[in-house]
Amino acid sequence: MLFHTWIFVLFFLVVYPVYLLVKKTRFKDVWLLIASYVFYAWWNPLYLFLIVYSTVIDYVAVVMMDRSRRKKRLWLVVSIVNNLGLLGFFKYAGFLTENLNYLIGRLGLQYALPAPDVLLPVGISFYTFQSMSYTIDFYRGRIKRERSFIRFATFVALFPQLVAGPIERAKNLLPQLRDTPHVTRRDVTDGLSLFLVGLFKKLALADYLAQYVDPVYAVPGNYQAPALMFATFAFAWQIYLDFSGYTDMARGIARVMGLRLMLNFNNPYLATGLRDFWARWHISLSTWFRDYVYIPLGGNRRGVFAMYCNIFITMVVSGFWHGAAWTMIIWGGLHAVGMMLTRELERSAFYRERVPKVFKQIFVFVFAYFTWVFFRARSLGDAWLILKTIFTSFVHFTWAVFSAESLGDAWLILTETLTSGFTDSGFPLLALGLVVAVWAYQLIYESKVKQVLTLAPVRVGLAVAMVLYIIVFSAAGDQPFIYFQF
Amino acid sequence: MQKRQKTPRTTAPNLKPETQNLEPEIPFSSNALRLSGRQWMVVGLITVAVFSLTPFLWERVETFELGPDYRIPYRLGDDYWMYQRVCRRMCAQDKTLVIGDSVIWGHYVAMDQALSHYLNELAGDERFANLSVDGIHPAAMAGLIKYYGRAISGKDVLLHCNLLWMSSKKHDLQTDEEFSFNHPRLVPQFSPRIPCYTESFSGRIAIVLGHNLPLSGWVNHLQVAYFQNQDLQSWTIEHPYDSPFRAVTLKLPSVDEPPSPRPIAEAWSKRRIAKFNPPWVELDDTSFQWRSFKRTIAILKRRGNRVFVLVGPFNEHMLEEEGLAKYNTRKNVVETWLQDERIAHYIPSALPSDYYADASHPLSDGYALLAKQLLDHESFIRFNSR
Repeated sequence: MLFHTWIFVLFFLVVYPVYLLVKKTRFKDVWLLIASYVFYAWWNPLYLFLIVYSTVIDYVAVVMMDRSRRKKRLWLVVSIVNNLGLLGFFKYAGFLTENLNYLIGRLGLQYALPAPDVLLPVGISFYTFQSMSYTIDFYRGRIKRERSFIRFATFVALFPQLVAGPIERAKNLLPQLRDTPHVTRRDVTDGLSLFLVGLFKKLALADYLAQYVDPVYAVPGNYQAPALMFATFAFAWQIYLDFSGYTDMARGIARVMGLRLMLNFNNPYLATGLRDFWARWHISLSTWFRDYVYIPLGGNRRGVFAMYCNIFITMVVSGFWHGAAWTMIIWGGLHAVGMMLTRELERSAFYRERVPKVFKQIFVFVFAYFTWVFFRARSLGDAWLILKTIFTSFVHFTWAVFSAESLGDAWLILTETLTSGFTDSGFPLLALGLVVAVWAYQLIYESKVKQVLTLAPVRVGLAVAMVLYIIVFSAAGDQPFIYFQF
Repeated sequence: MQKRQKTPRTTAPNLKPETQNLEPEIPFSSNALRLSGRQWMVVGLITVAVFSLTPFLWERVETFELGPDYRIPYRLGDDYWMYQRVCRRMCAQDKTLVIGDSVIWGHYVAMDQALSHYLNELAGDERFANLSVDGIHPAAMAGLIKYYGRAISGKDVLLHCNLLWMSSKKHDLQTDEEFSFNHPRLVPQFSPRIPCYTESFSGRIAIVLGHNLPLSGWVNHLQVAYFQNQDLQSWTIEHPYDSPFRAVTLKLPSVDEPPSPRPIAEAWSKRRIAKFNPPWVELDDTSFQWRSFKRTIAILKRRGNRVFVLVGPFNEHMLEEEGLAKYNTRKNVVETWLQDERIAHYIPSALPSDYYADASHPLSDGYALLAKQLLDHESFIRFNSR
């Protein structure tokens, strides 16, 4: 059940009024849980067994930790092994088998492990992490045990954020579920505002860009450098708009129910460093990895080398979380390198104080841009082909410019290449215009003239424009969200 | 990055709900689009105004001539908003509406060679108007009349019944295997269930809502008339540097524009089409298309229309012996039902073989002959001479 489909509208039209009626009663949690399980079972009812199993194990683990201090660590291990085991089996078994078979083949053995034929349950990466954070936080003494199983199950399965986050922490969400929600008019209007922005990001932008990206990345060998460059540019925005659009909608839906979910994206393409980028991109995941992987590994407490090792491990694991493929591991590794690089640069006063902010932002975007090639490509071979085509073309172009006989010739080559590159790529002007508009909006939002955007006519005008654009110009939306596959 | 606001201190923390301090800690969003209730009302009002006014104003900007032999251009066959407009215009004149599928629309012939043209020519006035849609089957016809033909009320209607739609389970939309059929948006979306139709649940809700929202029809009209049946975004993928504003020329496709691919207006025997033996479905309650045809008549009668049914003429020359026998049985069932329901009708004999382009479509001479037969037929004379 996708947020931007009519079936969800119907679902919510049933769930919400009942929720408002029962929100002050004990039936509230039961109702939220029923709604969440129906929402989840819409994909495949069999998935329910998995989420219920995971919930029961973590609930019992914390109960046992609470009862027996001596066996606290043992039950934490049970919870972690169970969650990672589930994730490993459903998400990584295929990858593992494939690589083992490759190794077996290289050893010359005539044997191949059977490929596991399991379907990846939607949202498993999200709810296992959310559930695990509860057991870890309890183990660390940071939260109290949740006594109600129903409430805990609701925390794990809460439908707005169940399938693609934000990965909520128990200390934020459980107290909200325990309280009687105060749904104010402001909550409803705020929720609508968030939902509209998310819907626009998804239908008007992400799905639109996908129409350009998908065919190019399906057969990258059929395309020249300009198309590959534009497709990567489009994907950089598609994935941001798709995922942040989802979380905006999730937060909006939760908001109208009086629940506040954490901010998950904060204009990441305006980041001035890779660390800043990860403080703005998928915040709930990056803080999860910070709190449960990076800091337990030692964080920055054991010297620079150890810190960089910890960053590297954390980022590679983060990449692997996104998908069971070498491309994802490389993507994570590259981000680790980028983080170390910008961290070193940021140590110099010159870089911190003299280099204009816009250059730093461009650097971060260009870095993220090239790493997205690994994220989106179907295989390492494809990623390599795309990068090779882009760089070869760039080298030819640079060589042509620098070997020009005069400055005039160089200018001619430059302008002709850029013009023909754009026209050869077939990238729609409308899409480019929309992306530039989003970028400009974000730049203004983080500038000194931000107040312009808060003027009522500007906000109302933008809302009307978005509503009309979605209705009149967007395609009918039933494209799933990219992050559902993780 | 947004600055964190200071959390206000509370003197009695235990009495406050745990969530009290959450708001300042969780930023609202990474943009400034946060509307108040009043502002949402303004957004709603503007949107509703645009919703209601745009289709209305568009009709005044985008005009078309309703000539004597006008038929809905082939390319606009899926444009039901346009059908609605044409319907209103035709119904404003006191005409007998000739409604049917491509047989009546005149798939193989020009608009001045279709049945309505010859009816007008032979009757000596411009009484008959072609309100048919190419490729429409009875199930879609019922939806078309129900949602987009509301203007057809208190009129004389000559309704065509093409038994070809009941010639197999596939034509009757009864197969379990999904396939793409004409005008899926006009068929019942939820009940009765059509096994070969696999639109998503959400898609079906959108279609049902679209039937009742003029803006939805207008958006579809833009897509069909100017953007090659695509939404704007998909269109720009194929036309990356073209301006969408320039594509909206406000010039509708010509009524003379032939169907695509262009049909060969030759007799079926010359085109070496083989005889066939369709399996046919029983014309009882199990036939979806037959039930739909009956539903169309019920809708028309409920709206106070006088209905005359023209059955066929099917190209019986193309049927093998066994198929012909089955066809005759079905024809008798239809006749009996029409008689029982006291619906004026005419079931002509097959036209000469060379007057057909295929199993059901006559050629120009066929239409001329059919018009003559119809105008000479007693029940049609009665129907026509009110």
